[in-house]
Amino acid sequence: MKISRKLAPVLVLVLLSATACSKASTVSSSGGGGSSDGSDKLAGSQTLQGYDSLPFKDILAMPEGDVKVAGKEKILLGFSQTCFNHPWRKAMLESVLAEVKRHPNVSVVTVDGNCDAAKQSNDIDDLMARGVDAIIMSPVESAGLAPAARRVMAKKMPLVLLDRDVPAEKTVFIGQSNVEMAYETAKKMIADMNGKGNIVEITGLSGSSPATDRSTGLKKALAEAPGMKLLAVGDGQWVREPAVKVMDDWLTKYPKIDAVFSHAEESSWGAMQAIKNAGRCNDNIKEYTHDGSAPGFKAVKEGQFQADGNYSPFIGDIGVRAALGALEGKPIDGAKAYSQPGSYLQLPNLPLVTAENADQWVPKGWGTFELTKNPCK
Amino acid sequence: MNEPAATMLAKPKMQGVRERGPAATATMRKYGAGVALILLIIFSSLQSDRFLQVDNVLNVLRQISIVGVLALGMTFVIITAGIDLSVGSMLSVVVVYTADTVQTRGVFLGVIMALSLGCLLGLVNGLGVAIGRIQPFVMTLGMLAFAKGIALIFTEGQPVAITNDAFLAFGNGRTLGIPNPAIVFLVLLAVCMFVLRGTVFGRSVYAVGANEEAARLSGIPVRRVKCAVYVISGLMVGIAGILYASQLGVGTPVAGDGKELDAIAATVVGGTSLFGGVGTAGGTFVGAAILGVLSNILNLSGVSPYVQYLFRGGLIVAAVLLQRREGRGR
Repeated sequence: MKISRKLAPVLVLVLLSATACSKASTVSSSGGGGSSDGSDKLAGSQTLQGYDSLPFKDILAMPEGDVKVAGKEKILLGFSQTCFNHPWRKAMLESVLAEVKRHPNVSVVTVDGNCDAAKQSNDIDDLMARGVDAIIMSPVESAGLAPAARRVMAKKMPLVLLDRDVPAEKTVFIGQSNVEMAYETAKKMIADMNGKGNIVEITGLSGSSPATDRSTGLKKALAEAPGMKLLAVGDGQWVREPAVKVMDDWLTKYPKIDAVFSHAEESSWGAMQAIKNAGRCNDNIKEYTHDGSAPGFKAVKEGQFQADGNYSPFIGDIGVRAALGALEGKPIDGAKAYSQPGSYLQLPNLPLVTAENADQWVPKGWGTFELTKNPCK
Repeated sequence: MNEPAATMLAKPKMQGVRERGPAATATMRKYGAGVALILLIIFSSLQSDRFLQVDNVLNVLRQISIVGVLALGMTFVIITAGIDLSVGSMLSVVVVYTADTVQTRGVFLGVIMALSLGCLLGLVNGLGVAIGRIQPFVMTLGMLAFAKGIALIFTEGQPVAITNDAFLAFGNGRTLGIPNPAIVFLVLLAVCMFVLRGTVFGRSVYAVGANEEAARLSGIPVRRVKCAVYVISGLMVGIAGILYASQLGVGTPVAGDGKELDAIAATVVGGTSLFGGVGTAGGTFVGAAILGVLSNILNLSGVSPYVQYLFRGGLIVAAVLLQRREGRGR
């Protein structure tokens, strides 16, 4: 017994080192020593159908071929992703790789932040230690990554932020507006209902910035439509199961719900499941959602969603072009000063996907997963 | 190691508290959570006239079934003074593999996959704790990360949709008017109550949790019991995985995120002591029901999701406090 007591810490160490090893190998394989093989593996099955289907390829457009930077034959970029727990995040990586592939002397090292601000902050240091020439980061959270951003800028290294901003100096922040996207979706909903009806809102994870922004967009549209009534707001956490629960309860409470405004497609499917469970498929409750996945666009085409907000993950290529441009010493076209330190390149809003344009957008959506079955059919 | 840590820690707190007869305190331990549930139900039915509608009650039963099944497994583990932090991640693994197997190889193999995968992961935990003598907290924390990795690698982050009608019909169908997942939960509840109360194994589980050394001296195969409770927890994860996949029609690598905390909350609210030796399956059902009813009535009352967290946290502490007051020193 005494021996095994002594052995216990050793076993813990073995276990911990095993975990540590596996973590280390993920990072190095994704780095792949300058080649992008490891990153390709991390990207998994491709959803991107060729460079031409990138929706923003004309922004900061750049010709194919070697990138010439004084004193450098090869250019190594570092890409720090929030985490890879969602196909949206992988699709962003695909767009990074798509741009990098066009330039033979450019390669990229990808690191996975595990959805943890502290881990991502360390990742940034690792990238700098590795000698990358510029860093592209999609931050886990704003404030937590500000010190890391400052460390990069202190080294006079270009820092490009994607999708989420950081309140610190940066070369450029590139993002789409969740507020405006949700506002467009809400306007479509209000128009479909002739400005009158009862709706419920299923949010993304409470407190996350895209969820807050999408709520703001909805509120803005509702403020202009006094006939609309927001019955209830529930936390769908971007996924399906919590959405089923809140919708179950609302269907019990409210005899008449005209539409569900959801921040995420997964939560919309959850709401449909609840509608089926409650035997209210014939109520013809409309579904307005966001995410912009290819299966989601198909669902719009089939009439299961009335509209799908088009929040494209394919912005990584712009990030690469911005970083390369900064290394070449070129100004970033369209980037403007804004309320935060650094400059902001606001992307044009992609059109809301509805029955009219769904056909055209299906090939440009992200995600290769199969379309969920409509529970009501 | 003459006395288990639980007794040593609990003793000083008992001083200065009015002692009640052991029978009375045991009764309150047993029924404290039940009293809390009844109070909550009375409050809820006054709050919303829709609360006691049959459909709503059945909804709540269905809603708590997944976490409830996890909590039943957790009850065994916590009674032995262990903890299983990995049930959420293991659920994610089971759900994605089950979804994939159901899609490619059919329902039967999908179910076999879920159950055997759950048991296998549970066995790894059990061996680590019982044979490797790794602290349960550490062992299952390791499994939490490991299993999450498996789920993410397997799916590459993509959800796996299930289109098999028979499988989906099970999770969303009803038998004799009762949702199938609720039936599964209630049947498992009965089985767990029987195993814990009426079998030699069940009594060994309590004995190991109450005083490991005494259990060993009285000839109970302590290691085997410890290992077994993690396998039971894994098996429950397997069953919960089937319920999840068939209800939601999708396998995602985030399916189980945070579920370990819900399961622990239900178990603890139900009167199971983290120090081991005390707890019942029935109590865990009550615990799961309290949390389920609370979230239901908050939704029915239109309380904002931000504020719901406050109620949830407050209720967990209040329910356990009630039991400690009334049943101190067990």
